[in-house]
Amino acid sequence: MLIIKNLHAEVEGKQILKGLNLTVNAGEVHAIMGPNGAGKSSLASVLAGRENYEVTEGEVWFEGKNLLEMAPEDRAREGVFLAFQYPVEIPGVSNINFLKTAIGEIRAYRNLPPLDAKAFLQLSKEKQKLVEFDAKLVNRSLNEGFSGGEKKRNEIFQLAMLEPLLSILDETDSGLDIDALRIVSKGVNKLRSPKNAFLIITHYQRLLEYIVPDFVHVLYDGRIVKSGTKELALELEEKGYDWLKEKEEVGTN
Amino acid sequence: MSLIQEPAIPLYDAVVKGYHTLSTAGADTEGVRRARQSAFDQWRLLGFPSIKNEDWKYTNITRYLKDEFALDGLVAGGGPVAAVAAPAGLVKKATIPGLDAFQVVLVNGVWDGKVHGASPKGELPKGIELLKVSQVLNDPAFAGYFGNGKWGNQHFAYLNTALFTDGLFIRVKDGAVIEKPLHVVHVFTADRNLLIQPRHVWVAGRNAEASVIESIVGGEGDVKLWVNSLMEIFAQTDSKLDHVVLQTAGTGVRLVQHTTVRQQKQSLYNNYTFTLPGAELVRNDLQARLEEDHTETHLYGLYLTAGGQLVDNHTLVDHQKPNCYSNELYKGVLLEKSTGVFNGKVYVHQDAQKTNAFQQNNNLVISKQATIDSKPELEIYADDVKCSHGSTVGQFSEEALFYLRARGIGEDTAKALLINAFAFDVTEKLRNEAVEHFVNELISQHIPSQTQA
Amino acid sequence: MANDKEIIDNIANKEYEFGFVTDIEMDVAPAGLNEETIRYISARKNEPEWLLEWRLKGLQAFGRQKLPAWQNFEMPPIDFQKISYYAAPKSKKKYDSLDQVDPELLATFEKLGIPLNEQKALAGVAVDVVFDSVSVATTYKEKLKELGIIFCSFGEAVREHPELVKKYVGSVVPYSDNIFAALNAAAFSDGSFVYIPKGVRCPMELSTYFRINTENTGQFERTLIIADEGSYVSYLEGCTAPMRDENQLHAAVVELIAMENAEIKYSTVQNWYPGDKDGNGGIYNFVTKRGICKGANSKISWTQVETGSAITWKYPSVILQGDNSTGEFYSVAVTKNKQIADTGTKMHHIGRNTRSRIISKGISAGQGQNSYRGLVQMGSKADNARNFTQCDSLLIGDRCGAHTFPYIESKNNSATVEHEATTSKIGEDQIFYLNQRGIDSEKAVALIINGYAKEVLNQLPMEFAVEAQKLLSITLEGSVG
Repeated sequence: MLIIKNLHAEVEGKQILKGLNLTVNAGEVHAIMGPNGAGKSSLASVLAGRENYEVTEGEVWFEGKNLLEMAPEDRAREGVFLAFQYPVEIPGVSNINFLKTAIGEIRAYRNLPPLDAKAFLQLSKEKQKLVEFDAKLVNRSLNEGFSGGEKKRNEIFQLAMLEPLLSILDETDSGLDIDALRIVSKGVNKLRSPKNAFLIITHYQRLLEYIVPDFVHVLYDGRIVKSGTKELALELEEKGYDWLKEKEEVGTN
Repeated sequence: MSLIQEPAIPLYDAVVKGYHTLSTAGADTEGVRRARQSAFDQWRLLGFPSIKNEDWKYTNITRYLKDEFALDGLVAGGGPVAAVAAPAGLVKKATIPGLDAFQVVLVNGVWDGKVHGASPKGELPKGIELLKVSQVLNDPAFAGYFGNGKWGNQHFAYLNTALFTDGLFIRVKDGAVIEKPLHVVHVFTADRNLLIQPRHVWVAGRNAEASVIESIVGGEGDVKLWVNSLMEIFAQTDSKLDHVVLQTAGTGVRLVQHTTVRQQKQSLYNNYTFTLPGAELVRNDLQARLEEDHTETHLYGLYLTAGGQLVDNHTLVDHQKPNCYSNELYKGVLLEKSTGVFNGKVYVHQDAQKTNAFQQNNNLVISKQATIDSKPELEIYADDVKCSHGSTVGQFSEEALFYLRARGIGEDTAKALLINAFAFDVTEKLRNEAVEHFVNELISQHIPSQTQA
Repeated sequence: MANDKEIIDNIANKEYEFGFVTDIEMDVAPAGLNEETIRYISARKNEPEWLLEWRLKGLQAFGRQKLPAWQNFEMPPIDFQKISYYAAPKSKKKYDSLDQVDPELLATFEKLGIPLNEQKALAGVAVDVVFDSVSVATTYKEKLKELGIIFCSFGEAVREHPELVKKYVGSVVPYSDNIFAALNAAAFSDGSFVYIPKGVRCPMELSTYFRINTENTGQFERTLIIADEGSYVSYLEGCTAPMRDENQLHAAVVELIAMENAEIKYSTVQNWYPGDKDGNGGIYNFVTKRGICKGANSKISWTQVETGSAITWKYPSVILQGDNSTGEFYSVAVTKNKQIADTGTKMHHIGRNTRSRIISKGISAGQGQNSYRGLVQMGSKADNARNFTQCDSLLIGDRCGAHTFPYIESKNNSATVEHEATTSKIGEDQIFYLNQRGIDSEKAVALIINGYAKEVLNQLPMEFAVEAQKLLSITLEGSVG
């Protein structure tokens, strides 16, 4: 589904990603862990097409298409979903109208007939239930005045509504209390299927207790320096990231 | 402004020449005649404003004054201007779908005496009275409403006072609560360039409550109509007045609209002014004079400008007495080569302790060629006050745009959504759903690429 | 809490601490402004012909200009013909060291607390003192000379570096800019000149104290600071004037030029005689200050603490011409009794990615009137330019006024302007809280005011910040609303 080859990217002239390789297949859940500043969130931004990130080298293929050539909206329409670390507040745009617009545009892109109001409403209700999202929040302005947890849950609700192929969860666990974390994870688990894939970016192992990954990768200094199974996450939790640093230094010497 | 320079403006000439004929032709009482004469003398001293006048610094009207205009009253032969039938198309344009209201139509400021939508018998509810200004002007019982001769540096207010023709007098009686809104449609139409000067007086009696929606249409053709309208509103003790102004005139209209609201004890006045693409010049002077204590005032405005439009909103909230609250929110969306001007002044007199006054002006500049000039002002002479103002000029938030695009929404649609959202802060303040819906529709129509949703 | 009225009366009656007259023989030009006076001044200073001509152009421009009419206060009439345009101490010698300076003069500075002494010198402050009109002492000149920095009186610069003066004088504030700039161009007495060569970081704060002494003399200094590519300089200006009954006019001009990657920081503490509690006497402080960020990545920062003068009228401005250049304006203005301050800034964004930041704190007490008047202009080529403005006004007592007049003009859709302003009374609950902790009301006000002004005071160089803090406390002693 997703193939990243030798990806180099910089932001404001500063090299952030330095030759990253990663392959994600349908049905898989990958976790990307790493210390602060390793480039985890940058990877998410590059994949979603944030403008101030410049790809200087490498390729990204999504479902056989060159992702890097696409506008952010086309990436979304192709099926890439980014759950933002810091979802923006947009006063005056209602959550529901926003989703209706997004689904309308995505369906048009895929040459699907528009969803009628009734079907949309039904879908919305269904998904709200699935991810335990408060109906009151649906009718409010997009993320306006939402608590940190509500914003993250709204991201998962949108994920459920838009049914993407690849979902990138960028530090979705940050700022969540244990109950919110549980609800968010439950939602994600319900949405897992053999057809879709998840890329979970996190600093802590805690989230991975709830969403069990198939693979765990350690991102350090712009590269994936170690890959393994979920046991790797536990190891990281125990040892921290410092040992990686030493290893890296030894390695480069 | 010196008298020597003025004759270069044809309209100045026309007014000076026409004044004598008009002032002697009407059946004005001595009091009214004197008021007109004094205003005319004052106007001759002031002339038309230029950018050297601080209040017109950003609004250069020179190019709009090059055309010749006839005086509405002169065209009518000096007597009262007769009611003209309103073109159906224009009335339709002003119609607000789903609005349950009484409707009156004024053509060039003259009301035909009919009330629409006042079923079943065509009568207005008890407690509201509509009259033509020309009917009451010379009636001593109404003298108190036409006596104001002090217009400071308001050039156009003097011009209007000297030569106004007709208008609508509304009185909501003491204690009357008018449930249905009144929709006043102002149609401007003529077959030649015309200076039209309506004068309106509205009175909300003690403890009365009403809602008025005004629509301004006309000026769709090549003819240039200079509309210099003046309105005085008296909000008496404990009254509540909701006032919506929808300025949707065509490019042939040059609109100068002065509104003075005089608020008494514990009165509430809400104004919502929407200016949409069309009229090439719009200058609004909205002045809320808080003459007694414990009043509440809300001024909301939205200007969506396009083409070569110049839209200037001047507001004054004049806190004269203690314990008054005022809140102002004006937002601008500037398209194409248009220019927006906002000048809002909050003036707090020494006596006006415990004043709470807030003012905000936000502008979204969409086009590279658009210009915005914003001048919020606070002038405060009392100490126990809470006053603030803010003004912003900017573009869409890049972050918001990216978020929407990352959800699959195309750039144009995303921008349209954000413009609607920007305007929403103002439109959501409207209390009537049909009006809110209508305004949102009007806004959407003018946004470069419409939302699909 | 203390009796309000008593305290307000107390502040209203507080006398100006720096009112005394120095008894030095002066060489004074006859009153009046005309070509003859200008020629007299120019001749007294042995000026070259080109400068005389420039002065005469200024005089002509002055004749064409009118007093501005947009202010929101009654402008007192000024009789320009009654003012003497030149006053110099009679001692004609230049001093090589402070020992040679007239002891009475030094005593004056001592009383003012001007740190023109060894301690201050050790603290690394080079001081160019303008006593009325002529520069009388300059310290640390030699050290600066080693770095190629020129720091001298304007008159000396005209003699020693005519090419620099000729090139830059009037290039930021033309003689025709406004009536007071024209007056200054015609009749300027002396002032300071600074040139920082390429890549040099001036190692010490450069400082000048201005002081108006002789009765009925206007003070018309002219300051010109040029920071060449990649250089840095911080300049301090402090002003005090003795008490006089007649109003005195001060119409200075300051021009700053910052080349590519250069930075100029200009700080002012203005404490001129504000007049008595009935509004008699006091300085009219009508100053034109403007800088230009000529080169890319340059920066000009104005900081001012204004507590004196009967009327202050000044708008230190920045023309942001170079791409990525930055302009800043930090201001605290205090008015009491019948003082009027109308001050603010103008930020003209011309280049791309230019930034400006305006922080203005007004404090009004007694019957003082304090206005912020500012302009933020985004030109059509100022892509991605940004401005942030915050204006706060604090009112102490119910007869003062605080006013805010921002002008925002944007012709660029990628530019962002943010302006915020608030006006409120000094917090009674804050004073009470401090009272409750054992702090008397006077100290409480001083604490609150200093906290309120902190963002601006922090911009001042350290020694200055301490003085400014004291000044604020003294000025507002006992003012509880």
